Amino acid sequence: MIEKGRISTGQMVILLYPTVIATAILLVPGITGKFAGNDMWLSPIWASLAGCITILIMAQLHNRFPRQTIIQYSEEIIGKIPGKLIGFIILFFFFHSNGLVLREYGEFVVGNFLPTTPLVVVIGSMIFVSGLAVRGGIEVMARSAQVFVPIVLFLFILIVILLIPDLEPANLLPFFEKGLIPSLKGAIVPTTWFLQLFAITFILPVLKKKEGGMKWGMITVFLIMVTLVLSNLFTMLLFGKLTPTFTYPIMEAARYISIADFIQHLESIVMAIWVSGTFIKISVFYYVIAVGTAQLLNLQDYRPIVFPIGGLLAVMGLWTAPNLQQIQHFLITTMPFYAVIVQIILPLLLLIAAVIFKKNTKKIN
Amino acid sequence: MMNEMGKETEGFTSKIKLRKSKKSQKKAVKSLQSPQEQELLSQSLEDNENKFRSIYKDCSDVVIRSFYIGGKDNAILIYIEGLSNTQEVDDSVLSPLMESSGEGNDQVKSLINKKIPVTSVKEVKTVAECISEISSGNPVIVADNQKTGLAVGLAQYEKRSIDEPQAETVVRGPREGFVEALSVNNSMLRRRIRSPKLKLKSMKAGKYTETKIVIAYLEGVADPTLIEEITNRVSKIDVDGIMDSGVLEEFIEDDPYSPFPQFLETERPDVVTANLLEGRAAILVDGSPFSIIAPITIYSLLQASEDYYSRFLIGTAIRWLRYVFLLVSLLLPSLYVAILTFHQEMIPTTLMITVAAAREQIPFPALVEVLMMEIAFEALREAGIRLPKQVGSAVSIVGALIIGEAAVSAGIVSAPMVIVVAITGVASFTIPRYSASITFRMLRFPMIFLAGTLGLLGVMLGIILIIVHLASLRSFGVPYLSPMAPMKFNEIKDVLVRAPWWKMNTRPHFTGEYNKSRQADNQRPQPSNGGDE
Repeated sequence: MIEKGRISTGQMVILLYPTVIATAILLVPGITGKFAGNDMWLSPIWASLAGCITILIMAQLHNRFPRQTIIQYSEEIIGKIPGKLIGFIILFFFFHSNGLVLREYGEFVVGNFLPTTPLVVVIGSMIFVSGLAVRGGIEVMARSAQVFVPIVLFLFILIVILLIPDLEPANLLPFFEKGLIPSLKGAIVPTTWFLQLFAITFILPVLKKKEGGMKWGMITVFLIMVTLVLSNLFTMLLFGKLTPTFTYPIMEAARYISIADFIQHLESIVMAIWVSGTFIKISVFYYVIAVGTAQLLNLQDYRPIVFPIGGLLAVMGLWTAPNLQQIQHFLITTMPFYAVIVQIILPLLLLIAAVIFKKNTKKIN
Repeated sequence: MMNEMGKETEGFTSKIKLRKSKKSQKKAVKSLQSPQEQELLSQSLEDNENKFRSIYKDCSDVVIRSFYIGGKDNAILIYIEGLSNTQEVDDSVLSPLMESSGEGNDQVKSLINKKIPVTSVKEVKTVAECISEISSGNPVIVADNQKTGLAVGLAQYEKRSIDEPQAETVVRGPREGFVEALSVNNSMLRRRIRSPKLKLKSMKAGKYTETKIVIAYLEGVADPTLIEEITNRVSKIDVDGIMDSGVLEEFIEDDPYSPFPQFLETERPDVVTANLLEGRAAILVDGSPFSIIAPITIYSLLQASEDYYSRFLIGTAIRWLRYVFLLVSLLLPSLYVAILTFHQEMIPTTLMITVAAAREQIPFPALVEVLMMEIAFEALREAGIRLPKQVGSAVSIVGALIIGEAAVSAGIVSAPMVIVVAITGVASFTIPRYSASITFRMLRFPMIFLAGTLGLLGVMLGIILIIVHLASLRSFGVPYLSPMAPMKFNEIKDVLVRAPWWKMNTRPHFTGEYNKSRQADNQRPQPSNGGDE
């Protein structure tokens, strides 16, 4: 195996949680607010079903091919050439999504905090830092996540607690004004975030204990769902019908904080700490691309290709869209179908093929 | 060819490799010796004497004294001035031998038993053996018509008396520190751990210096593979000399390019004792008062021995104070630069006005101002250490008055900046280990640069870089950030708090795996209630 490190199931959760949450917590409240109105806090619950399905499929495939990633077992299930093709599609999807994430991160930082800094510097510095983590391997990434995730969580809880006096419960009413449909509509876009748990296919093979992968995957889905419900509920209670007008409602909420007229305008600190969460997300995707590419090309080691891939990622981040509006449009219109095809339908077909052809590692050995 | 062998032979071949490397190691050391030295002692005293005279040519400190045993047998006594107790040599070696009634060709063995009232006496057969005994201070006697010589254990040399450790002072706790003499340090450890389970494994390194190195560990507590690994790494060293444990450290650490220390350096025998009891190993080097302890985590560097001697609530509070000031010493100047240059909106208006008024006259941007002051501070600190103690106070006067007062009133730096630099300086001194505090002080400079170019984002990227590096660091296989990452819930008790002693029932996971239990459960004091009635 290319990856020598082994991580525990707890470390897997702490890696996957920010992989979804980091950008979701910024964008999801605004986007769901557009579709679901004041029922937006329900949407993540529906969306989490997609996460459960992904985890279920990936765990089933993992049971058949322990110690292998989807790049490797797709070749064993449907043959070399089609398998490589599927591997390429999946890697390209991750490549594209990581470009999008990098661009979202870059636009967010440049747009809100460093207006005169070139986008390429902001994206490039993040790629460099993540590249070092990826070179360190999954263990290093997991340990870094264990340091940063508690800080990010603490920050989130702190924002919520500090703003409790400003919340307006009446904003929630009326429930189900137009039935369940708006909240279901609002669930479509968050689905794409839950589908990012697809990255678990690269983490399951490096777990110390074989069993428990699926259980802890489901726990991750649950934790993410709770966090998104809370953040949606929170922005709804704070901003009411204004929510959809903000791109980053949680960040607007942080601007609201003022303690004793002295500690105020905390958004820069919030941004800085949020960056550490984004770092985990970008590193996980980056790691998936690096390890996946090495497996696709049958390389001995993935470390030499980490920084070259980083250069391509920077280009992808810069070229993927001309501006943030385009990205949001893409996320709302194209992304849900794109993500469902690559991250649910493709692996599901693979699983069906594996069941029909009765393929698994034991038989091959 | 080695690679083609099966897995079963792998262990065997690696053993061979190990042996081979040990052999070449010995060769490297021995190649220094002339062929003369490898010979056995000869029967004739004249030959032997000539040999020693040629080996010790121009060694003015070596004394070769010829005398007669019992008035007739020729013999020589060789020792090095200042390394042996000459009084004792006279009283218990020379005088009994010279005054003995000549019983003819007594064999060496009987000489030892009959004539020399010294506890440690050893037969030596080769010239090389003689030399090593002489160098360690034991006088050697070679007699005519004898194939073997006698080394008498009368080594005694001048050493510093046991003193309070200079680099780690405590208010409460033992006040003795290691000295340069290895034997004294060994005895200090033995006095603290009387069990024969305390092993002091001796090794040598350095072609010319032949420095003695002792690996101390507790048998049955320390993991044997750890000891083996340390022994391996030490035995691979092939250098001219080891001047201090700091030199040894560079040859045996895991990541030689890391700015972070991977050993805990300490002058305190009580710190060594505590670490041995947690399953770690200590390495003592002759000639250095600093012993080094491995494996460690970053939290070992942030703990002072006094945390464990004061009340646990106080210990916890002090520990947190230290964590906060660690962050201050690393981040305060860079946060100041970042906020002043990029995020002025974060400063409350009234404070902003004060700072802006103070900075109005200043010709430099905040980044340059901070760098100037920080470098000046580091220079003052360094000068304070290097200067003779009598001049030391002059430095602080110059530092405080000229740089602090005059620079502000001349309008070169702003007063808030001086405050920031001063707080940072004080903060860095709260870190109990010099090697750790200097690391954080130096990392501050790249952080200031990042803050000056990318603001808070730069600071965060710097922190991420440091954390990623720390997460990839290992000290003898132990992750540097454990028990925080990887997380071990039941060990957080020694990181976030200083748990009361009666709660610390298990040893730390990574070093204490071999022997988990430290003490009996339920030892919380439960005084019987007298009652008021």
